[in-house]
Amino acid sequence: MIINGVTIDETFAEAFPMKGTRLIITALNAKWAMISAQAFTGFATSVIACGCEAGIERELDPSETPDGRPGVSVLIFAMGGKGLAKQVETRAGQCILTSPTSALFSGLDNSEKEIALGQNLRYFGDGFQISKMIDGKRYWRIPVMDGEFLTQEKTGVHDSVGGGNFLVLAESQAQALAACEAAIEEMRKIPNVIMPFPGGVVRSGSKVGSKFKALNASTNDAFCPTLKGQTKSDLSPEVESVMEIVIDGLTKEDIDKAMRVGIQAICDLGAENGIRRISAGNYGGKLGPYHFHLQEIMA
Amino acid sequence: MSALTFTLKTSPAQRVDCSPLTADKLADKTAADIAAITLVVGNQKVRTDEIFDIQGDDVANIHFVKATDKLDHIGHAMTTGKITVDGDAGAYLGQFMAAGDIVVNGNTAIYTACEMKGGTIKINGNAGDFLGGARIGYKNGMTGGTVIVTGNTGARTGDHMRRGYIFIEGNAGDYCGSRMVSGTIAVLGSVGKHFGYAMKRGTLLLTSAPEQGISANFNDCGSHTLAFLPLMFASFKKFDTKFAEIEPFSRVQRYAGDISGIGMGEILIKI
Repeated sequence: MIINGVTIDETFAEAFPMKGTRLIITALNAKWAMISAQAFTGFATSVIACGCEAGIERELDPSETPDGRPGVSVLIFAMGGKGLAKQVETRAGQCILTSPTSALFSGLDNSEKEIALGQNLRYFGDGFQISKMIDGKRYWRIPVMDGEFLTQEKTGVHDSVGGGNFLVLAESQAQALAACEAAIEEMRKIPNVIMPFPGGVVRSGSKVGSKFKALNASTNDAFCPTLKGQTKSDLSPEVESVMEIVIDGLTKEDIDKAMRVGIQAICDLGAENGIRRISAGNYGGKLGPYHFHLQEIMA
Repeated sequence: MSALTFTLKTSPAQRVDCSPLTADKLADKTAADIAAITLVVGNQKVRTDEIFDIQGDDVANIHFVKATDKLDHIGHAMTTGKITVDGDAGAYLGQFMAAGDIVVNGNTAIYTACEMKGGTIKINGNAGDFLGGARIGYKNGMTGGTVIVTGNTGARTGDHMRRGYIFIEGNAGDYCGSRMVSGTIAVLGSVGKHFGYAMKRGTLLLTSAPEQGISANFNDCGSHTLAFLPLMFASFKKFDTKFAEIEPFSRVQRYAGDISGIGMGEILIKI
């Protein structure tokens, strides 16, 4: 398949099941809601070493938030429910509870499975915390130095998908980056997904395993342009830079949509902007049960 | 199907225990079965059709017509359906109620919503003493649900209340929120003496400062903007009450008490 001079490889991205939740962070103004959200989602690019993958889904208008203040919705994913609960609790405790004027709410209510959100953070109140049941949901009011930190007790857990991805193969680093930026801009309009890497783009895509026993992932040498003559390369001579976009989503369909708009945005730039191919991280079924076939997505 | 209507034939001389007349207890019963149910009246047992004219067949929608304050235990432990009372209701209306709706177009007597667990009670009139309270010797009053009183309430509103909401559109009597364990009582009018007496936790939300001032057992914690209040006001919108219509506010003067006890209760007064 070729779109606007860009070859869409006949391959698929492999993704794996994760547990995810959406949180809504509000603050006195949009600036501080975003600061809080950025702190919460920091160092959360990959479960390989971060324990979770998290990102900002979108900014929220005051009319969309529970307390009528400006907000930000974030998605956070981990390999299991316990890991997710631990990450949510520690990050909320260190990054949102501490953030001036913040409040924290579940963005996934009415789920069958729930994990603690403010349930344990309340103990920071040292006995002065106050519980309030509002509309059948329990909230905690925790006294803090700037007033009160309001947090919902629990948040829902959704069976999610992590690791959807595609690779952008370009004639130069600048062209690969420009294409990825265009893709990310479109993909951020899709709900229920995040692109957890810096700016949504990863330049160090990995393969499963390593020659070093201590590592379970290592550089994806087949797509490293400087190794064309040293390894079994998947790159043609014109390709000088490869970047990857990784997508985590609440459902496979959400990732499908995000991949479609992202790849389309890159194809709109086309071969005339140095984009040669779109490929994907295909590890022969070793990575996960979810397969995103590029040509089917773009059909 | 039409509402199952119990029209009082004559005003009873003795108190009538209406607890058998709920949707839960009347489900699958025929008209003859319902007519034959015996109600405790004073120290007698009397057939339902001797006290009421009975019409209709929808047990999920029960009406008491020409009701008086002798009709006790209406909606006792109900878990479903709606009860409408045209007239006054007696004691223990909605006691142990877990779900459903009760609307009273009149006044209610003592222990309305006593130990209520869920559902909604709306009283288009006044409520007696111990609204939402606990029975004597029991430690937990209301543990859930919502009570709306368009008029005034008697003394000890929310005594031992543990959870849920009481909205008072008129005035609250003396000792409002006494021994409250948790939950929220909101008052649009005035409150009587000794409000918050022996309050442990919970919130008394007042829209105006009481003329008599605040008890010495409550300490002034200053004026604050509390984030939970807009959330709470938004949750009021689904109820048929003036509290759904008032302009939401989050700026309040906060008093903590009763400091003769654990002092974790709060009185919030709009500023």
